[in-house]
Amino acid sequence: MQNPVNSFQQLIFALQNFWSEKGCVVMQPYDMEMGAGTFHPATFLHAIGPEPWRAAYVQPSRRPTDGRYGDNPNRLQHYYQFQVILKPSPDDIQQYYLDSLTALGVDTSIHDVRFVEDNWESPTLGAWGLGWEVWLDGMEISQFTYFQQVGGLDCKPVSGEMTYGLERIAMCLQNCNNVYDLVWTQQDDNIVTYGDIYHQNEVEMSNYNFDLADTSSLFQWFDTCEQQSQLLIEKQLPLPAYEMAIKASHAFNLLDARGAISVTERQQYILRVRSLSRAVAQAYYDSREALGFPLLQESNSA
Amino acid sequence: MSDKRDLLIEIGVEEMPPGSLKPLASAFHQSLSQALENGQLNFTDCQWFATPRRLGLLIQQLDTAQADITQQRKGPSVEAAFDESGKPTKATEGFARSCGVTVDQLERLETDKGTWLAFTQQIKGKQSTELLPELIEQALKRLPIAKRMRWGNSDIEFVRPIKWILLLFGQDAIACNIMGVESGTHSYGHRFHHPQPIAIKSVDQYLSTLKDQAFVIADYSERQSMIKQQAKSLADDLHGEAIIDADLLDEVTSLVEWPVAFVGNFDQQFLSLPKEVLIANMQDHQKYFPLKDKDGKLMACFIGIANIDSTDPAQLRNGNERVIQPRLSDAAFFWEKDIKFGLENRVDALKQVIYQKQIGNLHERKNRITEIASYLAKHINADQTKTKRAAELCLCDLLTEMVYEFSELQGTMGKYYATAAGEDQDVADALEAFYLPRYSGDELPSDPIAQCLSLSGKVESLLGIFAIGKIPTGDKDPYGLRRAAIGALRILVEGKLDIDLRALLDHSAEQFDASLKAEQQVQAVFDFMMERLRRYYLDLGINPDVFDAVAAVTPDNLLDFDQRLQAVTAFRQLPEAESLAAANKRINNILKKNGEVVTNKINNTLLDETAEQTLAGLLSEYHTNLAPMLDNNEYQQALSHLAGLKQPVDDFFDNVMVMCEDEATKQNRLALLGNLNQLFLQIADISKLQGK
Repeated sequence: MQNPVNSFQQLIFALQNFWSEKGCVVMQPYDMEMGAGTFHPATFLHAIGPEPWRAAYVQPSRRPTDGRYGDNPNRLQHYYQFQVILKPSPDDIQQYYLDSLTALGVDTSIHDVRFVEDNWESPTLGAWGLGWEVWLDGMEISQFTYFQQVGGLDCKPVSGEMTYGLERIAMCLQNCNNVYDLVWTQQDDNIVTYGDIYHQNEVEMSNYNFDLADTSSLFQWFDTCEQQSQLLIEKQLPLPAYEMAIKASHAFNLLDARGAISVTERQQYILRVRSLSRAVAQAYYDSREALGFPLLQESNSA
Repeated sequence: MSDKRDLLIEIGVEEMPPGSLKPLASAFHQSLSQALENGQLNFTDCQWFATPRRLGLLIQQLDTAQADITQQRKGPSVEAAFDESGKPTKATEGFARSCGVTVDQLERLETDKGTWLAFTQQIKGKQSTELLPELIEQALKRLPIAKRMRWGNSDIEFVRPIKWILLLFGQDAIACNIMGVESGTHSYGHRFHHPQPIAIKSVDQYLSTLKDQAFVIADYSERQSMIKQQAKSLADDLHGEAIIDADLLDEVTSLVEWPVAFVGNFDQQFLSLPKEVLIANMQDHQKYFPLKDKDGKLMACFIGIANIDSTDPAQLRNGNERVIQPRLSDAAFFWEKDIKFGLENRVDALKQVIYQKQIGNLHERKNRITEIASYLAKHINADQTKTKRAAELCLCDLLTEMVYEFSELQGTMGKYYATAAGEDQDVADALEAFYLPRYSGDELPSDPIAQCLSLSGKVESLLGIFAIGKIPTGDKDPYGLRRAAIGALRILVEGKLDIDLRALLDHSAEQFDASLKAEQQVQAVFDFMMERLRRYYLDLGINPDVFDAVAAVTPDNLLDFDQRLQAVTAFRQLPEAESLAAANKRINNILKKNGEVVTNKINNTLLDETAEQTLAGLLSEYHTNLAPMLDNNEYQQALSHLAGLKQPVDDFFDNVMVMCEDEATKQNRLALLGNLNQLFLQIADISKLQGK
């Protein structure tokens, strides 16, 4: 039987379809630089408070320090996560996840799929949870987390988060050892690879991230974003305040890649972003409460 | 007589952390066994099972009910029970009511002290089925779970979400709700081989049903031996031997329900990397067992333990090889890059890395270690140039790419990189030995250069961290100071290093910035180390009183300390020991009561009694005889010699009144006792000895 998911874009379609049928709002990537799908407001903010929520989306993720100038077949500074959040986490959430692998063409009677303890913590988001990394024949292909706290607030109910590392899974499905050789799409004999689309980007962005990003303006930008975020919190506008916190976080990541932040300062910067995240989380909760938690009422009446 | 039946409990859980599986299962076992005993429910045996997805207990021959109890309750005495008119008092009526009878139904209990009203009642034992749900839930709630979690809408907390609860008592269910889950008599099999529920018909069929029908080996030790057996068999086929680390074996056993070993290969070219690097890659990330050939050399393959009997093992193996290959490529890349950069060239960069915020950077720590190591080298005749060189390089490997990736290779990479850079082999070896001993019972550095280096690192940590007030408390010891202290002590004692610990600490304290006031911590660090030393010797079987006797005279040199301990231990066995210990205790008390000793000069003209004249004569003789023995640290000989004072001392106390009327005579006798006391204190305070 031919594997139906033989290109990177089919992988995305398959996941979107699968989770759409599980009642998820299929969203689009957030249009800002961020380190992981968790930063998308559809996860970070929606995990707060009592309102039920199911969403799935692709999120391009940027980790400047992971850049390798396009030389390493496994490491990228820009890559894709497919993020799913189910709130509250359903009893059979693990089975949902396994069914999604089957939908991608992973035969669980051939491959060794394992849930291996992984305790997730994001110091900048003031968030932590317990769960696993999912192994496929020893390869970590997903993160699976039951959120316990987000932005310093206890998660009630608990959200279940599943994050697929799309490149890793595609490499398994396509039996491919170099990320740049992945087939993004194939039309007859015309193949477009991951490398065709992103190799130049990895080379140039690595140059920028490691060597050229202007540190003094980034330091200033960090301060500006922090001030803006604080100001917007005062104005009770958690959504733009959160965007400012995300911008500050990315500025920090760039400075880190430039080696501009010493070990001690590093901790200070992380704490500064965390205070923003916490303030946003509380303000968002308050704003939803003021609205009477609308999604809660919809689900009750349904 | 109550019936007995076997009880099976299985808690189905989403995959639990492998590190805590065994501890949780055995804690569940202990906690519930205890609860049953406390609840007067007897059983013959309790056995635990554990897989990543289940915690189980099998309790054999458990009472089906508590025994009935006959209990006699005592009420008021007959005398006090009735008023003058013979009517029962309010209290008496109350007692009868509480027993559920009328006053005239109460018994009369005759005792030596009179007659009392009493009531004998039969308390019916409760059924086990009634008691068990609560006992089990409480036992689960008491489990030592490091991080508890909630899930879904529930407020219940556990290590991971609970999926099912199987309760079987003999062949019957115990229907109940535990931790929010309804119990049943079904288990579930392997996640992929047998995902559907499987009925367990009776307790004794549990293990076999899971094993024969559901691809689950619930017995932890059986699973572990299967893994070892399979690994050995595959290794034999390859004419090699699997390297099986005990902790890793536990971890692997805790990650599978149905172990299937397989062999994977990697590119031969990676065998040129240091073996520790290859092993770390295989063990840490991938949980593989490395293989070595007959000559002890690593082979270009590994053994993995899958949790499935794959229908296409080649795909499973390929997948695993696809993971290890890039990891080793990364490692090879780091190795080349680190060598090209050069170890020595990292010295300056140590300035950029904070050691501890208040203490400063790694470069400063390196400088202090160098000073302390040089001081030690001078005292123990280690090669000073090489020691200094090793100290200069000892922190450099922390900045290499390889150690950044595999922190447990610190020291080892230092050795390899120093060797690659053409450093002296003693220097290179010392860089690895710098971290010894790594754990309790680990080997110690034996080369003098390595001893100096390792000792300096530990003493530097102790003083520095004490100086910023981060002294270990309770089970909190984030800087590993207890380990550092015991490591330093073992190097000194077992390495038989002739070093004055206090002088070493004083000298080390001087290396810190004055603002840290490290010199004020010398005593605290010394005391901290003495506490560790006490535990160390107690573990070796030294009597606590022997340790205290020696510690009381605080020898600053641990080699000397050790010799005194051996001497006092031998002395303690002598027939004279007990009475001399008692005499010294008595002397201490007398001297303490009399406050300041006016003089320690003995005036021979004031000695009236024969016994005190004899003792005084002996004291000066002993003093002279002891001096050469003490000079040569011959403490055992010195104490045997002092044992000869038993009779004269006993005679003294039998015949001489110390606290006499005449003040001058009294002071003279006190001086005599003071001198006697001092004689012993040159070796140890034997008044601390407790007798055999």
